[in-house]
Amino acid sequence: MTLLTFRPVRIATGSEDEDGCLVFNEDHLIAVLVRLSDLHGDAEGKWFLEAAFGHLDHTARPSFDSLDEAKSWIGSQIEA
Amino acid sequence: MNSDYFSDAARHPMIRRLRSITDIPRVELDALMDVKMKVVEIDADIDIVREGERPTQCVLLLEGYACRYKLLDFGKRQILAFHITGDLPDLQSYHLEVMDHSLCTLSPAKVAFLSHQTIDYIITTYPKLAAALWRSTLVDASIFRQWIAGVGRRLAHERIAHLICELVVRHRAVGLAQDFRFNFPVTQAELGDATGLSVVHVNRVVRDLRSMGLITLAGGYVAVRDWARLKKTARFDASYLHVRGGEP
Repeated sequence: MTLLTFRPVRIATGSEDEDGCLVFNEDHLIAVLVRLSDLHGDAEGKWFLEAAFGHLDHTARPSFDSLDEAKSWIGSQIEA
Repeated sequence: MNSDYFSDAARHPMIRRLRSITDIPRVELDALMDVKMKVVEIDADIDIVREGERPTQCVLLLEGYACRYKLLDFGKRQILAFHITGDLPDLQSYHLEVMDHSLCTLSPAKVAFLSHQTIDYIITTYPKLAAALWRSTLVDASIFRQWIAGVGRRLAHERIAHLICELVVRHRAVGLAQDFRFNFPVTQAELGDATGLSVVHVNRVVRDLRSMGLITLAGGYVAVRDWARLKKTARFDASYLHVRGGEP
């Protein structure tokens, strides 16, 4: 059983994509998500996996429609 | 052939490409003009030859874009090289029987197929053409080395700027970008697959290069706005392309 928590954060991506959150598995930082700005057209508002650590680092870099969707995907990757 | 497709040597894509990297005597160019090739039109995003296959012919790209690629786990793809008019993207299959990567079109393309028998005839009959084809594969290898350095160690902005600089020089070498504007039917996802970046990162970098006044990328074309600054951003030195006359 994984315990994922999200902490809001501002991220200096060098673009308008600044709203993000840190994703912790208990006390370990495992991912950084960023909310895509209108720079990305149809993908605006999606949560992009900006950085990932450990098991997650081996995957592609998906985007999610919501934080709930990101949470279930990250959970499934950790438990896989 | 093909003599009915291109009426003179100066317009023949393969001759323009080979002459951009080496000297070839007139008599051997004339011989190449007489070579029989099967010309075929292919849609975009179609595999021309796949990893594991044993081709009996090589491809000459007459029009359009192609890329070499490898498929990896998790649905990931690494594009290994872009190919443009005049390139022979799978010439190695003449010697290396089994394809160790795949080749596909990125845009609608017109290609000519040269049988391995034809290549055998060319290289055993015309020594300068044989040397030119050998040199062409060596230049391909030089480009691969640059791409390895780029994907492994260059920053995101440098990678994309470097790729655009490379394509400027290669298009100009075959007479297709005299005004620093050239055909670029490559999606941002494909650009990401070539540079090891996510679509999101490609999008940010392209926007930055545009706002810096270096390039515009729209409608399937790239226009270079400031060649000197683009080269500086990319830390670009064209010597690895071994084009006669050097970089613009």
